[in-house]
Amino acid sequence: MTALTFTLKNATDFKINCSHLTPNLLKGLTLSQIQGLTLANGHNAPKVADFFEVNGNDTENIIFSNSTSQLDYIGYKMKNGSITIQGDTGDFLGCQMQNGTIICQGSAGDRVGDQMRRGVILIDGNAGNYCASRIIAGTVGIYGQVGKFLGFAMKRGTLLVTQQPSLHATIQDCGSHTLPFLALLFQSFKSYPTKFNTVNNLRVRRFAGDLACNGSGEVLVISP
Amino acid sequence: MNINGIQIDDTYAEAFNMRGTRVIITAQNHKWAYHAANAMTGFATSVIGCGVEAGIERELSPSETPDGRAGVSILMFAMGSKVLMQQLETRMGQCILTCPTAAAFAGIDSDDKISLGKHLRYFGDGYQTSKLIRDANGIARRYWRIPVMDGEFLVQETTGMVRAIGGGNFLILATSQPAALAAAEAAIEAMKQVPNVVMPFPGGVVRSGSKVGSKYPKMFASSNDAFCPTLKGLVKSELSDDIESVMEIVIDGLTFEDIARSMKVGIEAICNLGESQGVKRISAGNYGGKLGPHLFKLHEILGQ
Repeated sequence: MTALTFTLKNATDFKINCSHLTPNLLKGLTLSQIQGLTLANGHNAPKVADFFEVNGNDTENIIFSNSTSQLDYIGYKMKNGSITIQGDTGDFLGCQMQNGTIICQGSAGDRVGDQMRRGVILIDGNAGNYCASRIIAGTVGIYGQVGKFLGFAMKRGTLLVTQQPSLHATIQDCGSHTLPFLALLFQSFKSYPTKFNTVNNLRVRRFAGDLACNGSGEVLVISP
Repeated sequence: MNINGIQIDDTYAEAFNMRGTRVIITAQNHKWAYHAANAMTGFATSVIGCGVEAGIERELSPSETPDGRAGVSILMFAMGSKVLMQQLETRMGQCILTCPTAAAFAGIDSDDKISLGKHLRYFGDGYQTSKLIRDANGIARRYWRIPVMDGEFLVQETTGMVRAIGGGNFLILATSQPAALAAAEAAIEAMKQVPNVVMPFPGGVVRSGSKVGSKYPKMFASSNDAFCPTLKGLVKSELSDDIESVMEIVIDGLTFEDIARSMKVGIEAICNLGESQGVKRISAGNYGGKLGPHLFKLHEILGQ
């Protein structure tokens, strides 16, 4: 079994909605069926094969190769498996994600993990505004810089950042701590193709929030 | 059977079905892991009065524990799943939650799950949080993080519960109390190297072996008079004139084979001491089939 790989043929000037390309939606489909899938609703909607070369057969492990910031909604409502993005990605990465793992080896746009319920999203580059907004639970890590309103209206969940982010008033500083659960979390990252797989420092600055939404989530500033 | 001048009685130990679980305790160092584990396995010698029988199975190096810290593994046994669940929760709450730097993880996998931190989490008073983290095999495990005064108490949500066997045993009959105890200590040291078993009594040794029933109606166990050396002239004694002290080693384990292996290792360690060290006989506690279905026949075990 080789990972199902979507290689973007050419850079586009317009956005491409990739919400249909998740392990749970592609399970059981043949390569030709996947190539013939439409990427939007409508009679003349573009097909997967119009933009991507598709190879591989393991729908549990999906790779977006040659990816750009024009690819939106990757991992939308994803329920299982893993998606690896070799390059940048657009907005709403992992939006409403139910479970699984998303590794982005470039940068992501706005609203990463919006309303995500479970799973892991790790971004090696930067993330845009409203990252992990309205997140219900799960883990989101951003190795690079992150935009404004990180964790806006987050209920629960863990956000890992490597640099002190600009946080809004309802996310509060809880001080510096050594958190034992991070040993398990970082151990689980070891097999992923991401910069996070070398992190092992359990010492963090902890911010809790969003207090406007119960305050059970947290932003952890790690020192890789 | 006679090994190194020590007689092995042609008898058997009689053991019964139990439910068992394993918990891995970690801490900042082995000192505090043992503090936690000793508290958790304290007052857990016999189900007769303690509810559970428990002991430290072995010490774990940081490379063997889920969080990479020093640890120990604990085995705990009870007569039924309900008691095991109750006792585990109580002991987790009073002994592990309270112990500085301690964390607790499942030590055995099974379809039957019992609560480790599932209910204990409410100690967090709403500030507890859970994390679903994949292990090395890619299986997601749920952990609870409970805020406590030394930082955070990390505990896995559940551990596995398995069918197990309790009450494997053998008796050491010696010419003096020091000789019996020295032989028991040698056996325990060897038996500690065997996985999947614990010897739940103090130091692994029990001096008050019991028989089923009593002359007093309210007592359902009483002193095993047939092996009490001071009663040799009063009762139908199992002891010859030269026997002055008897020690018993009780073993609980996950499988029949584990207990049998442990008994073999322990008895062989005593026999290696030789007759000159004061041990004359090895026997076993059986109750004529009143106690349980598992029979550990000494001659068969030592012939293995």
